[in-house]
Amino acid sequence: MKRIIIDREKCDGCLNCNIACISAHEEGSNFYTVNMQSPDAETRNFIKFDAQKGYLPIFCRHCDEPECVLSCMSGALEKDPLTGHVQYDESKCAACYMCVMNCPYGVLKPDKRARTKVIKCDFCDDKPDGPSCVKACPKKAIEVKEVSL
Amino acid sequence: MNSNFSCKTCASADQKLETFISNLSVDTSHHRMEGQSVKCGFGLQGICCRLCSNGPCRITPDGPKGVCGATADTIVARNFLRAVSAGSGCYIHIVENTALMLKKTAASKGVLKGKVALAKLADIFEVAEADEHVRAEKIADMVLADLYKPDYVKMELVEKMAYKPRFDRWKELGILPGGAKSEVFAGVVKTSTNLNSDPVDMYLNCLKLGISTGLYGLTLTNLLNDVMLGEPSIRLAPVGLRVIDTDYINIMITGHQHSIFAYLQDRLIQDDVIEKAKAVGAKGFKLVGCTCVGQDLQLRGEHYKEVFNGHAGNNFTSEAILATGAIDAVLSEFNCTLPGIEPICDELKIKQICLDDVSKKANAEMKPFVFEEKETQSNEIIDAVIESYQARRAVVTLNMAADHGNDDTLTGVSEGSLKSFLGGTWKPLIDLIVKGEIKGIAGVVGCSSLTAGGHDVLTVNLVKELIAKDILVLSAGCSSGGLENVGLMSPSAASLAGPKLRAVCESLGIPPVLNFGPCLAIGRLELVATELAEAIGVDLPQLPLVLSAPQWLEEQALADGAFGLALGLPLHLGLPPFVTGSPVAVQVFTQDMLNLTGGQLIIDDNAKSAAETLDAIIEKKRKELNI
Repeated sequence: MKRIIIDREKCDGCLNCNIACISAHEEGSNFYTVNMQSPDAETRNFIKFDAQKGYLPIFCRHCDEPECVLSCMSGALEKDPLTGHVQYDESKCAACYMCVMNCPYGVLKPDKRARTKVIKCDFCDDKPDGPSCVKACPKKAIEVKEVSL
Repeated sequence: MNSNFSCKTCASADQKLETFISNLSVDTSHHRMEGQSVKCGFGLQGICCRLCSNGPCRITPDGPKGVCGATADTIVARNFLRAVSAGSGCYIHIVENTALMLKKTAASKGVLKGKVALAKLADIFEVAEADEHVRAEKIADMVLADLYKPDYVKMELVEKMAYKPRFDRWKELGILPGGAKSEVFAGVVKTSTNLNSDPVDMYLNCLKLGISTGLYGLTLTNLLNDVMLGEPSIRLAPVGLRVIDTDYINIMITGHQHSIFAYLQDRLIQDDVIEKAKAVGAKGFKLVGCTCVGQDLQLRGEHYKEVFNGHAGNNFTSEAILATGAIDAVLSEFNCTLPGIEPICDELKIKQICLDDVSKKANAEMKPFVFEEKETQSNEIIDAVIESYQARRAVVTLNMAADHGNDDTLTGVSEGSLKSFLGGTWKPLIDLIVKGEIKGIAGVVGCSSLTAGGHDVLTVNLVKELIAKDILVLSAGCSSGGLENVGLMSPSAASLAGPKLRAVCESLGIPPVLNFGPCLAIGRLELVATELAEAIGVDLPQLPLVLSAPQWLEEQALADGAFGLALGLPLHLGLPPFVTGSPVAVQVFTQDMLNLTGGQLIIDDNAKSAAETLDAIIEKKRKELNI
């Protein structure tokens, strides 16, 4: 399976991965036109700053034993055995947010506008040229690597 | 050269150049594009602020305002006005030096080659002095006096130069500029930390800077240069890398201040200097044109047939020109003198001399031009270039591209030469427009860049689309450097035009894309537009005329663009000028500007759809004029 691997040392905290993620999920937008002020502008990845450790890029790991999937009661979250990605089906989601509470990395979150769904990395639907955040990182601090399940 | 450069170069509309560059063993901008392909989204949208130590602040969903409270609208407007101020400063520097040069040339009873330009300026400025030197000095003094006014004192020549309906509108809007240098200062102050936060006020300020930039930095620089260096006249000239003649000692010139070279270029063809060249085995000296100063020299090439070998290429061709190995020295006085030429000059032992410290290159000799010392300085430059020629020619391998470019680019087009070509009146052109033989005019101007598809790609594709729609294209800036090298300014390019424009071009023996030369000549396009509007009796926004800077590059282009919008013209850009993060900016530029000045910004990086939009605007304006 493919996973986004982080090299924390390389991260400059530029947040280009954030813009890329928001743009990838705003249909028809690009870096010039993506609306960063829209209530729907949600990023699925985060950069935290720690005074000691510097920038901490936090991305969905699509875990081998995903706590989010294990805690999901409605079946909205499932791990695809072929791709290894944890997939989210909004139509099945009861918005109980047990996944949000259980994610060990704090990467899942409720949507800001209506709080009726979960905002979660979809690996950009496995686009042939890879996830948008990875393409947008000027420092190559995030990379897609093949890892064994 | 010990560089770690990419093997993959970016595309160019100029296929021969693309191949030439892709085979080079030196690093160029075309190679570096790949390594810089990941762009910062906040920068592209203009929503990053570095004005204080609380920053850089960026507008994100979780941070909709900067620490100081600045919104995206404020941040974008501040960044934009700062850029326009800087761009204006660049052009005002050029006109200031040009006016000083004219003043000193006139005071020392130097040669004034452009009698028509002098008479024209004297007429506009209402200067009655009979003696041409006194007249020229007075004209230069009037320009300088305006440039040096404080920002709270309006410049006096604006009303004399501007088209009356435009002047009236600018007055109504409160955007008549004060002293041009002070306006740059005011723009910088206004956009500093915790000062102006009103985006609309800042965009109006941009228009004000556009007016001072356009009328002084562009229009007047041309006319003052015409007085000193001679007016352009229409002729066919060679262009491209082929113009470099290895039998000569070759000097590449970069910049925008043609008058700095005035004495030197005459000196280079004097017998004693030619003898010096012959003594080291060369036939003499040649200037090889590059960037806008090359375009300017090409425009006035009729006066400089002996010393000027032709224009080799635009800003992003400069590295390739040097990589031929046949250039012995670079003389620079302004942009676009790319830092990327420095290692190439080191590698190929090319002497670099900067004549104005604004363009000082890190490894170049600084020799600030001093008018009073021009004789000595020119001799020193000549000796240094000869020394470079001797040291390098035997050891440097030449890599020429004799098939690049063409020999029949129509050049020398200006407001004056075009009108003369038409028989001293604009009527024939107006008649062609009225009859629909020429549907309209597009000024495709500004820079060359490596974005929007690659080097000159959008510019060339857009121009092809426009001429196919019977729209006559006038070009000024590095855009013309690209368009001429691909043959669109050769008479044979008429075959690419729509049937009506093609017939017009073939009957007159002209190409469908007319070469006005440097970006400074955007000011000449303004004169053409104004004279056409005057002849028809309408205001500029009513003309079937559009502007496009498809591959605008830098801050000066943004100041030019502000002039275009102040003139009330539709202005197309290939890529947005770092403003799309602000809804107010988008609204002002694409909608509200129509009510303010009549201008409008159109952003489109697709040649076909952009041409369709511009065509529709021209059709609409024709309809409104009942033609």
